[in-house]
Amino acid sequence: MRDHPVIAITVGEPAGIGPELVALLGERHRREPFAARLIVVGDAKLLAKRAALAGLAPRYRDYTPAALPPTDGSLEIWHQPVGVPVTPGHPDPSNAPSVLEMLSRAADGCATGAFAALVTAPVQKSVLQDAGIPFSGHTEFFAQRTRTPRVVMMLTGAGTASPLRVALVTTHLALRDVPAAITRAAVEETLRIVARELAAKFGLAAPRIAVCGLNPHAGEGGHLGREEIDVIAPAIAAAVAGGHAVSGPFPADTVFVPAVAQHFDAIVAMYHDQGLPVLKAATFGHGINVTLGLPFIRTSVDHGTALDLAADPVKARQADPGSLIAATRLAIELARRSAGG
Amino acid sequence: MGIRRPKPAGRRATGTAVGDTGARNHAYDGMQRTKEFTVTPSPAEPAIDRPTVALAMGDPAGVSPELTARLLADDEVRQAAWLVVFGDRRILDEGAKVARVALDIDVVARGASPGPHGRPVLVDLAHLAPAAVRLGEATPVGGAFAIENFRHALAMAQSGQADAVCFTPFNKQAMRYVYPGYDDEIGFVSETIGFHGAAREFNILEGLWNARVTSHIPLAQVAATITTERILAELALADRCLRSAGFAQPRIAVAGLNPHAGDGGNCGTEEIEVIAPAVKAGVERGFNVSGPYPADTVFVRARKGAFDAVLTMYHDQGQIAMKLIGFERGVTLLGGFPFPICTPAHGTAYDIVGQGVANIGASRQALLLAARMARQQRAARSAPQPCPTAA
Repeated sequence: MRDHPVIAITVGEPAGIGPELVALLGERHRREPFAARLIVVGDAKLLAKRAALAGLAPRYRDYTPAALPPTDGSLEIWHQPVGVPVTPGHPDPSNAPSVLEMLSRAADGCATGAFAALVTAPVQKSVLQDAGIPFSGHTEFFAQRTRTPRVVMMLTGAGTASPLRVALVTTHLALRDVPAAITRAAVEETLRIVARELAAKFGLAAPRIAVCGLNPHAGEGGHLGREEIDVIAPAIAAAVAGGHAVSGPFPADTVFVPAVAQHFDAIVAMYHDQGLPVLKAATFGHGINVTLGLPFIRTSVDHGTALDLAADPVKARQADPGSLIAATRLAIELARRSAGG
Repeated sequence: MGIRRPKPAGRRATGTAVGDTGARNHAYDGMQRTKEFTVTPSPAEPAIDRPTVALAMGDPAGVSPELTARLLADDEVRQAAWLVVFGDRRILDEGAKVARVALDIDVVARGASPGPHGRPVLVDLAHLAPAAVRLGEATPVGGAFAIENFRHALAMAQSGQADAVCFTPFNKQAMRYVYPGYDDEIGFVSETIGFHGAAREFNILEGLWNARVTSHIPLAQVAATITTERILAELALADRCLRSAGFAQPRIAVAGLNPHAGDGGNCGTEEIEVIAPAVKAGVERGFNVSGPYPADTVFVRARKGAFDAVLTMYHDQGQIAMKLIGFERGVTLLGGFPFPICTPAHGTAYDIVGQGVANIGASRQALLLAARMARQQRAARSAPQPCPTAA
């Protein structure tokens, strides 16, 4: 118990499926405890109420940093009150500041070392934006909060010996803006971060990294676009010169096929929809999003707030916590490895 | 929702099609197009019979000969269509030997009429000796063989004597040795039969269809190429092809262009300005279409049975998903031509040539799809027309 890492879990959008997923995670923890101390960052009353509504029975207790870790499979709640009452399924922009506060405090707790890793449940981006907050995603928010110039969003599956890992050079960017964002510096820095973090956090001594092209058939020798020749190949060459096992650019529609992908520890995609659909298909809803390059470990579910499920306690009860469980498990694994465990 | 017909009225099915065939016989460069397919209507045949499928043998250096032999020996295929194969008897015999099947077919010489319906027929073009084939290699000899077979099959369908065309895998490099302008099948067929309309490639796998709005263009040009009109045109073509393949009300999902389908305009505006209006117009035209959907979930939903087809905005959006599912087990349909053209999605498989282990699955699916589409087209032609014109 003493060497169990302390993991923070943010509830995310209070009107979304986060509270129910946390309750389902709590039931799981109670039944089959994770080898970690799990601190849920969110509104304690709301969490208790939503668990009861859905007929779920997790064990919750208040988080007291100085207290001994619970031994009865309890989740500890670090109370971060919501601003206004919450109607499940109907996010209220008035609660946006409290959501940001939840994320900020959790991130700061990681930065100061109170938590060994952070797991995030989904937020409703549009509601934060409706509240006038320029929020493009957790990944970008934590980068800004920690003044990290470049972070990399990587997605992976759970549980297998050689999971598919897909890292993105660009994330939430309109497709028409993607080619201009594929610069030599962007690709090179992404490759450097992926290589470094796979070694440091994932324990892969010499990670093998494949890089996708941008265009159909990876540009087909310049006939279908020149970014592969002008930008991506030189960035790969620089990474190779730096001692990393990086290869490509490969046509995206062939590199993800398992017979090819199995030869790599990670595949670097140029844009969101080049890489994410593959993960979604391969992980059947149990994908995990990992942020590389932050000063702390951060994993996340790969799905949204599922407002339609949240609105109905019967459906909410049947929500699939697979992604949150997988993200928690990976956060624990990475935290243990960083601690030298 | 109105019934849409794949073809304009005017041709009545009488087993072999009659009508405007003579004028469309097309002389292709350098090769003599004889009148081997003079129309011989057979009044005794029922209005809807087994459709005739012209099957071109593909690259002789790969698995095409053994696949052709297996198709000819396949009961389901033989029941679904009357096969007329174009190739060389000696090459087909080699394929049968490799596949370890006995050929129960008729053989006619180049220029002879392959009819009447009965056992499958090989039109022996006698143009390639097995000794000239270098197995596992793309060569001009192999390319010339495949191209001539394909041209004959296309000519037969164009003349109305065949209802559909199929081919076993080609090697593009081999085709380019003898026909340097060979870019893809769509271009070649259009040139060969003098077709100026819109034809597109559809990838079909386990009942799921994928059509795309743009294909082989740089990613930087995709956003500017996606227009409402273009999407609507692709929708219409997809709907038409799906219907002729037997889908009564094909459910077509349209993918977005941007991450999370633009996330309400936060991540690109094409969904709002271009794609959604096309979907709306499609619904108004009677298509069972919906979207735009985020690309990272639309295929997951489609595979669970929510849709019959996904219309993607660019090449990799569909290809990545389809190849993950097992693209090479699927079928490629060239849709939009006056007759369906189907082929297995996999290639020539040079690495396993001669071993007799080539899987017939995709080729059989290609044949059965062609037969199904041909039957539907015949049925549509023979059905009473809503607005008969005065004679």
